[in-house]
Amino acid sequence: MSKIELTRNPVIKNALKNRYPQLTVFIVMLVGYIFAIFSGLIGTPVGSRNFGIVFVWIAWWAILILVAVPFFGRGWCAVCPIPLPGEWLQRGAVLSPPDKKPKWLNLRWPKFMRNIWLQNISFLLLALFSSVLLTTPNITGIVLAAMLFAAIGLSTIFERRSFCRYLCPVGGFIGLYSQVAPIELRVKDKQTCVTCVGKPCYNGNENGYGCSWDVFPGGLTKNTYCGLCMECIRTCPHDNIAINLRPFSADLAKPSTRIDEAFKAFIMLGSAMIYAGVLLGPWGAFKDAAYHVGTSAWFIYAIIFLAIIFVILPGLFTLGILKSKSIFPLKQRFASLATALIPLGLMFWVAFSLSFVLTNASYILASLSDPLGLGWNLFGTANVAWRPMLMAILAPAQILALVGGLIWSARTAQKAANEIRTSSIPIVTFCFIVTSVMLWLLL
Amino acid sequence: MAFAPLPVQYIAPQERTFRIEARQFAYSPSELKVNSGDMVTIQLVSTDVVHGLYVDGYDVSVEADPGQTATLTFVADKSGSFRFRCNVTCGAMHPFMIGKLTVGSNNWFLRSIGLAALAIAGVIISTKQKA
Amino acid sequence: MKRSELISRILIIVAIVGAIGAPLYIWARTSLIHAKVAEDGGWNPDIIHANAGEPLTLHLTSDDVVHGFAVGQMDMQSVDVLPGKVTDLTLTFDKPGIYTFFCTRWCGLNHWRMRGTIEVSGPSSTPEPVSPPLYVSLGLDIDAPHSLPVVPAQKPSAIRGQQFSTNLPISQAADYYRTHSPFQIFDELSNTSLTESQRWDVVAYIWRLNTTKESLANGQKLFAQNCAACHGEKGAGNGVFADKVAGNFGKGMSNTSNGRPVDFTDAKRMLGASPALLQGKILRGGMGTGMPSWGSIFTEEQIWDLIAYLYSFQFEYHQ
Repeated sequence: MSKIELTRNPVIKNALKNRYPQLTVFIVMLVGYIFAIFSGLIGTPVGSRNFGIVFVWIAWWAILILVAVPFFGRGWCAVCPIPLPGEWLQRGAVLSPPDKKPKWLNLRWPKFMRNIWLQNISFLLLALFSSVLLTTPNITGIVLAAMLFAAIGLSTIFERRSFCRYLCPVGGFIGLYSQVAPIELRVKDKQTCVTCVGKPCYNGNENGYGCSWDVFPGGLTKNTYCGLCMECIRTCPHDNIAINLRPFSADLAKPSTRIDEAFKAFIMLGSAMIYAGVLLGPWGAFKDAAYHVGTSAWFIYAIIFLAIIFVILPGLFTLGILKSKSIFPLKQRFASLATALIPLGLMFWVAFSLSFVLTNASYILASLSDPLGLGWNLFGTANVAWRPMLMAILAPAQILALVGGLIWSARTAQKAANEIRTSSIPIVTFCFIVTSVMLWLLL
Repeated sequence: MAFAPLPVQYIAPQERTFRIEARQFAYSPSELKVNSGDMVTIQLVSTDVVHGLYVDGYDVSVEADPGQTATLTFVADKSGSFRFRCNVTCGAMHPFMIGKLTVGSNNWFLRSIGLAALAIAGVIISTKQKA
Repeated sequence: MKRSELISRILIIVAIVGAIGAPLYIWARTSLIHAKVAEDGGWNPDIIHANAGEPLTLHLTSDDVVHGFAVGQMDMQSVDVLPGKVTDLTLTFDKPGIYTFFCTRWCGLNHWRMRGTIEVSGPSSTPEPVSPPLYVSLGLDIDAPHSLPVVPAQKPSAIRGQQFSTNLPISQAADYYRTHSPFQIFDELSNTSLTESQRWDVVAYIWRLNTTKESLANGQKLFAQNCAACHGEKGAGNGVFADKVAGNFGKGMSNTSNGRPVDFTDAKRMLGASPALLQGKILRGGMGTGMPSWGSIFTEEQIWDLIAYLYSFQFEYHQ
């Protein structure tokens, strides 16, 4: 099965190129985001009845991890409101480029930070505080506001979408997992790019701005860093950029050898397992430790959390691959074989998320009618009772996701191992072990 | 494999009573084990604020104020593993106040391990064949 | 700038201001009474103003756990105050004065401290004379020890007592019952020919004469809702908060307390306490122990019903 070019369809192409549909979605998202901040700050402190908590950690998260990432890769980034105010300031316009560009600093992001380590750290920071963050409206409000202001601030100092590319905690894993999605943005013909003067896809022209993600579209071979902002489609004078439908996880056929991405895979795998155990398990002591931030119990929890992610899981993994002989250096083997953990990690998050989303989705209806907990009933659904949904299919769905993810990862491991001429069996065994643990934690 | 019947030992149904203390944000005991067909009675004793106990899969629940033990009785006619959770908002970590009830054997888990093992065996064999 | 750019910018600003401004405006104009556990501040606001004869509408919400609301000394059905939800309640006060409102669903160790006042102003009438409670007019020291030297061998039964009391000149006046402890009456009966056990049975019968099935049922309900959390569901002083009460408050200024909630199944103490003494304890509270003062909360009738129920831990009233 090869690619189908979606932008060959004129309706699709125009919908993407035209700035008005995109702007409409942007306005809706931005209003929703700012309203979520307000809800968090002034609404009821009871999480389950607060729009900020319900719409961010249940509704948005469900759509993100169950639909957007697996099927649209960085599709969320395409509509995310966080970079918008800063970007509009930076560009001096909300639609096409203005005649007079504003003079912001537009500095290049420092070279030593051009990796995803900052995103690994920002995700971990949120993860360690997640019990408080996910349940406390004003904390969620503050964090959302902080990200918005960080993005605005960075846009006035650095070029392009620096917050999105290098700092956003969500962007780190969306990028990694976007490699498995069946959608991609690529150039149609590389030769055309060779002879193109000015490379407006990267530098911008009167039709649009240069790539907000600091990517050269002509050189895109993976989804990881392209945020689907559509600017390059608008600027390319040769109509050489397309959005294609392609097989799932096509990008994993060319494993990355970056250590920052490899560790991101471990961070996501490990944190899904820890969340499954702490949040969805029957062990009250762990929940106490996770929630009471600042106590010695929490410090121990944090250390164990970090040990699992940075020492135990990668350590076991490395022990496995040490045994097999190879001509390639360990670092390269580690990074390239860790690619196998990408589909598995995504499926871990899908399986984990299904549980709390189906359990608590009924809060969404109530919170639409009474977002601030003031006693409103805008749509008549304010008093919908809490009731878990579709619980009968939860276990089968989780098994499908986890065992499916295991098979997917095993096949990815085989391909990655073949590339570097080593055995995939240690990786496959590792995947089996962690999947069994996750099955035990969730079922 | 996912739907293969598991060998099951027949144990005559009994009446089982459990006294569960509920606090912010855990049950004690938090893991219960009964046999398929048992008549289960749960006495819910709240020790700080009003808590509830809702059993996934069975869709039954009970709510208790401190000082007023509440009783929930049901027949464990479905086997497998079922989480029970608090269904009365009792503070921040309320959505994660969870316990586990196992009726008979945890069928889904056992089957899934079998399925995973089979899948991996298949992958390893095909790897060896290619090599 | 181009017109499309200008319109788009205006649209963005209008959308944001509208979506934020409208809810903000309504939020600022909504007055809610917030309930939080006492450790986090209790009711906010905790003083409400009203006018006699005018309906007072309250919007109650909880910021943490399940609470309840009722006004003391009034025969009103309590309402639940639920986390993140709003309960509307309309009350009308006939007489001016200061009323106490309180939480009616246990929300922690300091649940009983969740109280506030409603100041009802109106045409000032002459203050009503209040009669002092019985223990005050009797000059009873309710903190003095009142343990028995000896306790009944079996649980006294009112049914047996009825048979033995046919020829006895016992007063059935409520005053007699209220001002005497079971032991005092047992003692007064020593000039009869009854055995000790029979005398206890007669005492149980006298206690039953002074109560009805309805008041016992009411007392049981009040006990379950207000007392059992500390005193135990079976009155044995082992409620879910018993250890915390002892740990946090201790014995205070009391001579008779060890800091733990009283065990109503302890015959030595209970049978030495008159209804007036128990009423005093309930009204006044525990002088530094964890026992709340219920004076502004329960009506007199509710307290007598509760006391009747407390004695049922000691006496067999019915078959």
